[in-house]
Amino acid sequence: MSRHIARTTTRLACLTAAALFAFTAVAAKAPAPTADTIVADYLAARGGLAKIRSIQTLRQTGHVYGDAGRQGLVMRELKRPGKIRFEFTVQGVTAAYVTNGTEGWQVSPFAGDLEAKPMPEDALTEAIEQVDIEGPLVDWKAKGHHVELAGHEVVSGRDAYKLKLVLKSGSVRYEYIDVKTYLQVRTDSTRQVRGQAVHLTTTYREHKRVKGVLFPSVIEVTAVERPQKLRVVVDTVEINPPLPDTRFERAKKAQ
Amino acid sequence: MKKAPLLLFLVPAALYADQVFLKDAGSITGKIVEQTATNVRVDVGGGVLGVPMDRVERIEKGRCALDDYNDRAQKLGPSDVEGWKKLGRWASQAGLAAQAQDSYKHVLQIAPNDRQANEALGFVELNGRWVTEAESFKARGFVEYNGEWMTPAQAQVEQTQAANDQARRDAEQRARDAEQATRDAEARAKEAEDKAKEAQSNYSSPMYWGGWGYGVTAWPAGTAPDPVFTPRSQIPVKTHR
Repeated sequence: MSRHIARTTTRLACLTAAALFAFTAVAAKAPAPTADTIVADYLAARGGLAKIRSIQTLRQTGHVYGDAGRQGLVMRELKRPGKIRFEFTVQGVTAAYVTNGTEGWQVSPFAGDLEAKPMPEDALTEAIEQVDIEGPLVDWKAKGHHVELAGHEVVSGRDAYKLKLVLKSGSVRYEYIDVKTYLQVRTDSTRQVRGQAVHLTTTYREHKRVKGVLFPSVIEVTAVERPQKLRVVVDTVEINPPLPDTRFERAKKAQ
Repeated sequence: MKKAPLLLFLVPAALYADQVFLKDAGSITGKIVEQTATNVRVDVGGGVLGVPMDRVERIEKGRCALDDYNDRAQKLGPSDVEGWKKLGRWASQAGLAAQAQDSYKHVLQIAPNDRQANEALGFVELNGRWVTEAESFKARGFVEYNGEWMTPAQAQVEQTQAANDQARRDAEQRARDAEQATRDAEARAKEAEDKAKEAQSNYSSPMYWGGWGYGVTAWPAGTAPDPVFTPRSQIPVKTHR
């Protein structure tokens, strides 16, 4: 009888030890996510660092929709390092907003300007925040940004990691990365509009793969405390199209 | 020299189909209605825009989307709801906002409660009625402040901030000498007037890009449906008792 009890006790001890070992092993395999691991998983989900880094130029075209049936055509071109051109067309009239990374200028026929003039400071700041062709999370330490995990939040019914991103410029954003897909699903940012801080929420949907890299095809922007919405639907994404530097420079003044 | 903003959708006309490329950037696509040595005037499908020739890099002539729209519209019967809706969708994809709106307005004349046409024209369904954007904002509790719709709480915040800014400016003004203060006051009055005009004309429909796009801060005038247009479903029916 006592031998039986001793055998049973030994078995129980072995089972407990095995269970503890298994638990420890699982726990060791799945450490708590950090900002670094989340960013790494996000980059892998987008297509991998190598493919993202291979993007030298990028052209995206699509439509933009506002409230009350307002709509227009949009085109965005980016080129390393730090060049961006944005065109907005309504009813056959195209305006262009361009920066070479240091200075920006615009031609806006809607405002009666048919000749290039310097881009306003607010617009230039916004443009320069978009010139990073691979996104600020790639090599964020080397770029002088700071990223930290700021918790979890539910975005469109799904759990998402909330990353606080402080850009080198000091500008702060919150990036939301889906816990399951590791895709970027939302950005919260703040913009100064006519002296007022406007808090913006940008959501990203319907990611599509182009040459191995995922891009959101529907981008929706809402302003906190305001009813208006803006929706950009990206129709085409071209990776590494030929884009001469002249696309990003101010044309010579008319003679 | 102060430049007048482009007002779209004025008087349509049609002769040729051209694309006028500007020297610095940008372009105007439509139909040239007049071209001289110094100026070219382009009908963009609802409005005519004049461009000085010294701003023009080149002109490419050919068919444009407007020609295709006119061809398609001519082939449609007046009561072909699906046809006009299809044309509206096509015009929308082609960037012809005014023509898309015309198509959908045509649909509403035949089918006043058509959901697609109402939504495309910016009407919002509220308690079974299609109402304007402004009416829907009001019904949702938003208020208009400084030419922009927002929550009453946000309007209060901005109003307080504006009052504080004004008080600070007033204090600064008092500190200056009388002559300088007078000049500043005049300048501020003009600036306020300009801002008010700008708010009135441009900021009723602000554009917040949020990381995809920049530069354009408000929808150009004329990109929303004609505010005087009222679908039949909204016209009050007189009842006799």
